[in-house]
Amino acid sequence: MPDAADILRLESIKVHFPIQGGLFDRVLNRPAGAVRAVDGIDLNVRRGEIVALVGESGSGKTTVGRVITKLAQPTGGRLLFEGRDMTSVQGTSALRPYRHRVQMIFQDAYQALNPRHTVFDIVAEPLRSLRLVKNGTQLAERVSEALAAAGLNPPGDFVSRFPHELSGGQRQRVVIAGALAVRPELIVADEPVSMLDVSIRAQILQVLIDLRDKYNMALLFITHDLPLAWLIADRIAVLYLGRLVEIGSADEITFNPRHPYTIALRNATPQIGGNPCRAELPALQGEVPSAARVPKGCRFHPRCPLAFDRCRQEEPPTVEVGSRHMSACWLNER
Amino acid sequence: MSDRIVQYSPSGRAGAIKGFLSKFLGYGGAQLGLLCLVFFIVLAAVPNILVGPLETAGTATGDFLAPPSGQHLLGTDEVGRDVLNMVVHGARISLTIALLATVISLILGTTIGMTAGYYGGRVDVWLMRLTDFFFVMPSFVLALVITPVVLEVMGRGREILGFRPSLFVILVVIGMTSWAFVARVVRSQTLSLKERTFIDRARVAGSSNFSIMVRHILPNLVPQIAANGALVVAGAIYVETSLSFLGLGDPLQPSWGTLLSLAQRAGAASAGAWWYLGAPGLCALTVSLSFVLIGNALDDTFNPRRRVIP
Ligand SMILES: Nc1ncnc2c1ncn2[C@@H]1O[C@H](COP(=O)(O)OP(=O)(O)OP(=O)(O)O)[C@@H](O)[C@H]1O
Ligand SMILES: [Mg+2]
Repeated sequence: MPDAADILRLESIKVHFPIQGGLFDRVLNRPAGAVRAVDGIDLNVRRGEIVALVGESGSGKTTVGRVITKLAQPTGGRLLFEGRDMTSVQGTSALRPYRHRVQMIFQDAYQALNPRHTVFDIVAEPLRSLRLVKNGTQLAERVSEALAAAGLNPPGDFVSRFPHELSGGQRQRVVIAGALAVRPELIVADEPVSMLDVSIRAQILQVLIDLRDKYNMALLFITHDLPLAWLIADRIAVLYLGRLVEIGSADEITFNPRHPYTIALRNATPQIGGNPCRAELPALQGEVPSAARVPKGCRFHPRCPLAFDRCRQEEPPTVEVGSRHMSACWLNER
Repeated sequence: MSDRIVQYSPSGRAGAIKGFLSKFLGYGGAQLGLLCLVFFIVLAAVPNILVGPLETAGTATGDFLAPPSGQHLLGTDEVGRDVLNMVVHGARISLTIALLATVISLILGTTIGMTAGYYGGRVDVWLMRLTDFFFVMPSFVLALVITPVVLEVMGRGREILGFRPSLFVILVVIGMTSWAFVARVVRSQTLSLKERTFIDRARVAGSSNFSIMVRHILPNLVPQIAANGALVVAGAIYVETSLSFLGLGDPLQPSWGTLLSLAQRAGAASAGAWWYLGAPGLCALTVSLSFVLIGNALDDTFNPRRRVIP
């Protein structure tokens, strides 16, 4: 549902990675197939909204984030930012205005920091590359402002340190400071707290929520943790093997899930308070299939306890099951 | 607000360098290598003060092929020149050629290896073909091809950057034949560096490819470049010595290889003049080994497997 308030819109985005076939395949000129990491997803994020993208490992969450931040080129679909088609925009200078407005927080804070750069260099890099400051004073001002906003106080204590001289939580704050230094309108946060221990998690989440409240910044929060998504997000999108199986408000998805996969995820985490789930369902069996061999029909059917004939044959359409609540399951037809 | 503005001082860098030095100097090989190197660099720096100007057949004072004595510590050659005098002057030529050739080789090898690894695809294929071509090219053959060209263009008597043409040729030949090794090492390291997340972060931060290569990849290549650079110097000393020994050197600016060549032609081996052959030979060997020791110590210091912090 297109909306004027949408800052970001993904329209049937696909990312298929070609598989390098073996010698045998090449001699026989046999196509080796593709890893369908993202297989046609529609998603919109509104200005100032926090949307959580939830899914198991390998479901394609990071790939979606990389498409949005222009690190991966989609093999199909469109990426729209404020209604402008950004899908085929390429090149450092052409992307500069976009990078100014869309930033990313990476999954592994240690890997995301160049071990030979100081905290100052790291946070200053986007400001310099995107030419957002005129002189050194302004640069130092923006860097310390960003460090303070990310909770590194006083900034002067951190600027000349190297990444290995920081704790895990401090490193993640440096990554956040680098992303928010340019004052973006959308941040893609890829599992920003999954590597941190519980006490630091809450602080980092608070930093992100404050950013939204203060600057009306939109956030796409990628996580594998449904309760965490419920805690931080306005809306939740559930990703399974490269497709969104359910999207809706955080409360709807958590307390009134309609897709068997979401129900299973929900039941696997009994610590969420409030009313119990509508449907009772046995626990999930089996492993997530490889994105290189996506099952025919509904891609969830091999693991679905409620699967029937139609699920094995046809892929279910995404239909509205409540107010702004969409689900892709044949059970919705009944 | 103004009190919150940070004063950025790169003091952390100084600390990192200090830590590196203490670790590097902890290796016995590094100490020995550096000690030898400092000794030869002093020789190369002030040969005139130590042994007077380079002796020629006209200024020679000693007997012919006299063994070491109090007057001539390393004996004399077939025209009565002091071998010590020539070896000390040879240090300057040998070291300068080896170091300059290494600089050429490192600049070429790093640029080509980094570009090939970073861009990949067709750029990589063509640059690596070029690299393989130079990798298998024998330095002696290249020297034979280039020498007449340079002599023709420059003229026999002229000097280029203070070098006589044939020495300049040796310099260029060593530079051209040793960069391929550096390029391969740098390329493979670049291939793994470019997959690191901080490169993605730099891209999201709006940095250009050039700035990513210079500011992110190059600093992380320094360990490999330093360790292999030391090995390249060792190789350069060896190649310089052999090319000069084969007669490509210049008797007016004799390096250790040239001295070995002169000794060989004067029949030093059959005459039992061990000092004439041994002195320059041992010098070349020692300097070459020192660089190998330093290179290995650098490699150990930077080796991520042994480092506490990766
Ligand atoms: N460059 C690539 N080439 C080939 N396959 C890829 C590539 N990047 C990702 N994939 C595949 O795409 C699928 C989705 O990967 P992705 O990293 O997006 O998952 P994820 O949901 O972020 O998982 P995690 O929770 O483990 O981070 C995986 O099957 C992965 O193997
Ligand atoms: Mg991921």
